[in-house]
Amino acid sequence: MKTYKIFGIATAVIGILTVFTLGSCSTEQVTAYKNKSGAQLWGENCIRCHNTPSPAAYNDTDWTTIEMHMRIRANLSKEQSEKVFDFIRSAN
Amino acid sequence: MKKLILVIFLGFLAFGVKAQVNDFKSSKTQFMIRGYGHMGYENVNTNGDRESSYDGGAFAPIFLFKHSDRLMFETELEFVINEGSLEVGFEYANIMYILNDYMTIRGGKFLLPFGTFMERLHPSWINRMPTKPLGFGHDGIAPGSGVGVELRGAFRVGTSTINYSVYNTNGPGIKTPEGVEPGEAGMLTFNNLIDNNNSRAFGGRLGILPFANNSTEFGVSFYSTDKAGNTGSIYENLGANLFAFDFSFVKQLAGLGGIVDIKSQYNKSKVDNMIYTVEETPGEFENLNFDNNSNSFYAQLSYRPTMSGSDFISKLEFVTRYSTLRTPEGAGWEANKKEYSFGLNYWISWRSLIKLNYQSITGEGGHDTIGGFDQKGLYLHWAIGL
Ligand code: HEC
Repeated sequence: MKTYKIFGIATAVIGILTVFTLGSCSTEQVTAYKNKSGAQLWGENCIRCHNTPSPAAYNDTDWTTIEMHMRIRANLSKEQSEKVFDFIRSAN
Repeated sequence: MKKLILVIFLGFLAFGVKAQVNDFKSSKTQFMIRGYGHMGYENVNTNGDRESSYDGGAFAPIFLFKHSDRLMFETELEFVINEGSLEVGFEYANIMYILNDYMTIRGGKFLLPFGTFMERLHPSWINRMPTKPLGFGHDGIAPGSGVGVELRGAFRVGTSTINYSVYNTNGPGIKTPEGVEPGEAGMLTFNNLIDNNNSRAFGGRLGILPFANNSTEFGVSFYSTDKAGNTGSIYENLGANLFAFDFSFVKQLAGLGGIVDIKSQYNKSKVDNMIYTVEETPGEFENLNFDNNSNSFYAQLSYRPTMSGSDFISKLEFVTRYSTLRTPEGAGWEANKKEYSFGLNYWISWRSLIKLNYQSITGEGGHDTIGGFDQKGLYLHWAIGL
């Protein structure tokens, strides 16, 4: 039973965090967030699991395959992965 | 006449250009081989027995086939030399289809998002350490992969990102006194390529990156089945509930002159209790009655002075890890262990590193061990992402 309690509490904490962050961000913050550049998202996101790959590591075709692989495997939002990989393809 | 020739010429030119464009257009099917490999030297002293050897290395090729912007197939094989012989593993093979911006369906054998270590961090070019934390891998308590179907996706909420996964896979099995390892009766096994009892496991993970800078992620995962034992056996109706919490923080902190990376995961497993009657020596039986609860935890901290003026220093990384494993008291596989590891890594490129690592594991029990366990190891590994 304790197991469920802890699990329940953790889920609740995540729920509260969501509501909290939702409630605490103003429209300007959301707009700023939505306007982040692909380069910035590349720096922030691609480093979360492994090192940030250099755009020069692959050609555009390969990056398109990797884009799909990472979007699914790393569970990235379409919004963010699209921007990151558009940036990578423009910078290699 | 001249006009006609010009028109015909232009026509040919247009055709030629079009044909050339066609030639250079990439084909719809894209195929890539990726993956990773590593090799190393290990000097490990376990309860006074010293073993030192080159680790023959591992090669894990990943094949990616992209058929359209929605449809993809991925598979990974793993070739490792273990105790002198070649082992071939079939890590995953699954078909993925992007249903819409927020939903992707996967089917086949895939790494389970039970926490983050197995799905995201175990490949040797990603893992900062040459070994897995306690609780993962051989005789681990956390499921690593499953055969089934999964729905996953991610979306933005305000300035946060939420990602989720729910899956239904062949459920786990359980080791019994009648099986090949009677001493491990009560331990869950997760390599259920065929379901042993028509009862599936149901699981999922919910992750949130609450901050706008994407630096931090919290996750909760669960994995549950009503039946773990074989159909018709007295163990059939043993249910199991597992859950995990994970945490990740990665950010370049100007004040510290580099990248700080913290990863952590807690796993808990609860299997329904029962009394296992194990034949200790021929004709002599013992009833093992224990609370079938296990848990494990790890936390890893690494720091890379990326902002250092020196090219050499900026490629160094300092890493430390602490992990624990507790399996049920009174079980034949009772264990209570702690790991402390310290390492110094050198990054040759973004996907290749040399890891020098000292690891100490102390405690009691574990695989083939009764009583005290004391292991000190020195590892030198070289890993590369392909
Ligand atoms: C949530 C974790 C995670 C994040 C975030 C992530 N990756 Fe990955 N990435 C992985 C894992 C895990 C692998 C290894 C796949 C395997 O071995 O099965 C990988 C592999 C790769 C590879 C090797 C080729 C391949 O497809 O396997 C490239 C290139 C790559 N990632 C690029 C990126 C880029 C660019 C980003 C930023 C948008 C990114 N990754 C973000 C987890 C992540």
